[in-house]
Amino acid sequence: MNWKVLVAGLLLVTPLVWVLATGFGRDPRAVPTTTIGTPAADFDLVTLEGERVSLSELRGQPVVLNFWATWCQPCVQEHAGLQAAARRHQPKDPEGKGVHFFGVLYGDEEEAERARAYLARAGSAYPTLLDTSQHIVVDYGVAGVPETFFISSEGTIVYKHSGAIGRSQLESILESLR
Amino acid sequence: MIPTLGHSLILLSLAAAAAGLVAGSVAGFRNSREAASWARVMAGACAVTLTLATLLLEWALLSNDFSVSYVAQVGSIGTPPLIAAVSLWSSLDGSMLFWSFVAAVYAGVFAWRTRHDEPGPTGWALAVQLAVLLFFTMLVAGHSMPFEAMDPVPSDGPGPNPLLQNHVLMAIHPPTLYLGYVGMAVPFAMAVAALASGRLDASWTRSLRAWSLWVWAFLTLGILLGGWWSYEVLGWGGYWAWDPVENASLLPWLTFTAFLHSLIVAERRGRLAITSLVLVMLSFLLTVLGTFMTRSGVFNSVHSFTQSPIGPAFLAFLSLTLTGSVLLLAARMDKLDVRVGPRPRSAAPASRETAFLLMDLVLLAITATVLLGTLYPLVNQALTGGQVSVGAPYYEKMNVPLLLVLLLLMGLGPALPWGKPNSRMALTRLVPPAVLALAVTVAASLAGLRNGSVSAAVFLCTFAAVVSLAELAALVRARLRAGSDPAPIAVFTGLARSPQRTGAHLAHLGVAMLAVAVAFSSAYRQETEITMKVGETAQWNGYSVGFVGSERVQESHRLSSRASLAVFEGSDDLGELVPALNSYPRMAQSMGTPAVLTRPLEDLYISLVRVGPGQVSLRVFLQPGLLWIWIGGLLMVLGSLVAALPAMRRRRKGQEASS
Repeated sequence: MNWKVLVAGLLLVTPLVWVLATGFGRDPRAVPTTTIGTPAADFDLVTLEGERVSLSELRGQPVVLNFWATWCQPCVQEHAGLQAAARRHQPKDPEGKGVHFFGVLYGDEEEAERARAYLARAGSAYPTLLDTSQHIVVDYGVAGVPETFFISSEGTIVYKHSGAIGRSQLESILESLR
Repeated sequence: MIPTLGHSLILLSLAAAAAGLVAGSVAGFRNSREAASWARVMAGACAVTLTLATLLLEWALLSNDFSVSYVAQVGSIGTPPLIAAVSLWSSLDGSMLFWSFVAAVYAGVFAWRTRHDEPGPTGWALAVQLAVLLFFTMLVAGHSMPFEAMDPVPSDGPGPNPLLQNHVLMAIHPPTLYLGYVGMAVPFAMAVAALASGRLDASWTRSLRAWSLWVWAFLTLGILLGGWWSYEVLGWGGYWAWDPVENASLLPWLTFTAFLHSLIVAERRGRLAITSLVLVMLSFLLTVLGTFMTRSGVFNSVHSFTQSPIGPAFLAFLSLTLTGSVLLLAARMDKLDVRVGPRPRSAAPASRETAFLLMDLVLLAITATVLLGTLYPLVNQALTGGQVSVGAPYYEKMNVPLLLVLLLLMGLGPALPWGKPNSRMALTRLVPPAVLALAVTVAASLAGLRNGSVSAAVFLCTFAAVVSLAELAALVRARLRAGSDPAPIAVFTGLARSPQRTGAHLAHLGVAMLAVAVAFSSAYRQETEITMKVGETAQWNGYSVGFVGSERVQESHRLSSRASLAVFEGSDDLGELVPALNSYPRMAQSMGTPAVLTRPLEDLYISLVRVGPGQVSLRVFLQPGLLWIWIGGLLMVLGSLVAALPAMRRRRKGQEASS
């Protein structure tokens, strides 16, 4: 055994592996999102069922906005979890406390048609808003789907999640919102 | 149906790799011919099953079979067939399968080509290759399974990453780079086999060299095409950004280049044999590190596939190969029986050996600076928690002097004789090229060249080029003097008789071309931003660019906005350039496609920034010498292939003669 080579080699290898290992758990692209902590941009949109909804009318209640699309696999994965959470947190009566959930779909009428068919099949516990102008995408800085925004009862964006959201994570964020 | 079949094929290849690993190790330990042939059969089985699995996934992609998870993830009904086919490597799971497929084919070809060789070392070499393959197929079978069955089956998918849909080079850059990257396992396995079996002889190094030259050619071509793709697609006017993943491909290239040169010293002078083995192992380890960088999500880069769960598995594999290599080297290097080249003789300070050794050191120094720059953001984050990025200025400041020394050695090495040349002989070989290079540099400075680094590059590259041309001319002259061939044929036969030297000097000429072109394009690149209305013409650097009009074209997978520009130089019509902005609605992303007018001395490069009703904003670049980067790079690849091909043929003849 050549001990010099062994010691020198291990002295090079160990710190390298350590440095690489520290890289896990950090997102190299984590740019502090400018939207967090800022007032959520108001919107005035129509649901897939044709009802008008504006954010300012919901002031006083926490709101969850889930940006999704019919062709997006992670959106399909998180769908059931979101529905269950929405049912659990829905306001007991029109005046009662609860969390308002909305899906947001940006795209054309064709995509809306596909979404209606999908929701009829997969079930839906909350309305989905359709934004054909895609202004809301810019206002919220949406980079892709799915993204889920959590807006406090004061109308501030408190959290944003990119990618499919898990049930337990959803629950813990919702608890902190109330 | 396809998911089940795909699963089965991958499990079969997993079993074959595991069995082959065991058989190869037994062959290595016992020098058993029977075990070695089992290892070969298993390598072949891996190649067959993974080829079928890859074809199956291609079939699923081309037929839009959304019941297959990978197709649901990257496919889309509107995607054109070529893009659907290349989306095999557009995302993590598919690229891991493709990776395993390439590794398996390499192992299969290696098994076939070494079928008459001694069972011990080839057994070890197969065992190592199959161990690497086993790791990759385990990832494919686990986290990265592209053949998961979808339930419910989606009606459409998002389509591949827009970056990969924009240029035909995406069809060749990744596979070429994979051939280089994955192929690195073969020389590595051969080095490990030499250490494990305790013997390194001339036939093993000859075969090692032939494999290595192929791998080097693929790696070089892959890096070159990557730069070309970046230039033609990304629209920022450059070809190299010192992105972590670009660096990841450069690092093994540097050490592997050093290895190829040390191997020459080992074969010709009986020295640096163990250094060569260390360099080859280092090159493989750096490719594993590079793969980790691309796939782990730890580094921020154009290439990283975000937040992939296979990062920790890769780190484990990297630690294992690193520690294993160190242990093997420490345990076996002193016992290695080296029978390569003549008995080592001493050499003078001014000899070819010294130049080669210095060149190895400079290449290692460049490797270290690039590695340090790439890892520094991580180190800093680990120690202070802060986010920093290391940019081009660091790399350029550190590497330009080293690269200039490297160019100097590229000229000195072949000019200096081996051993102990007398000083008069050395001078007669050095002075004429130096005088010629000086003349060219003075002429360039009279023509207006004022930049110090560029002048140095011109001098050193001319020097190296003259040395190489003189060497090639000497080969032809020797053939002419023999008088057996008429002159035009003698040029060919003279060069073909010494493929190794011819290849090496072609590659050196390529490096010289590339280096001068890089120097000019970095120092004299110009850019501007122009906004104009329809019918207007802008004048810039002797070019006039007129905005003819714009149009929007709806294609099946994207919406493309294009601006038509009429380009003139003086009164010469240079034709129409059509830069475009493409938006991919499904990815909520848009990508530019620059238009490039390539001319012998400079490129006019225009990317579209904004296009509105009747108005357009352009970024325009003037890039001197760009064409010569690609030509020089291709010459390097050609050189290594020339050096590799006949060497392999000669070896086969030798075998036939001995059997």
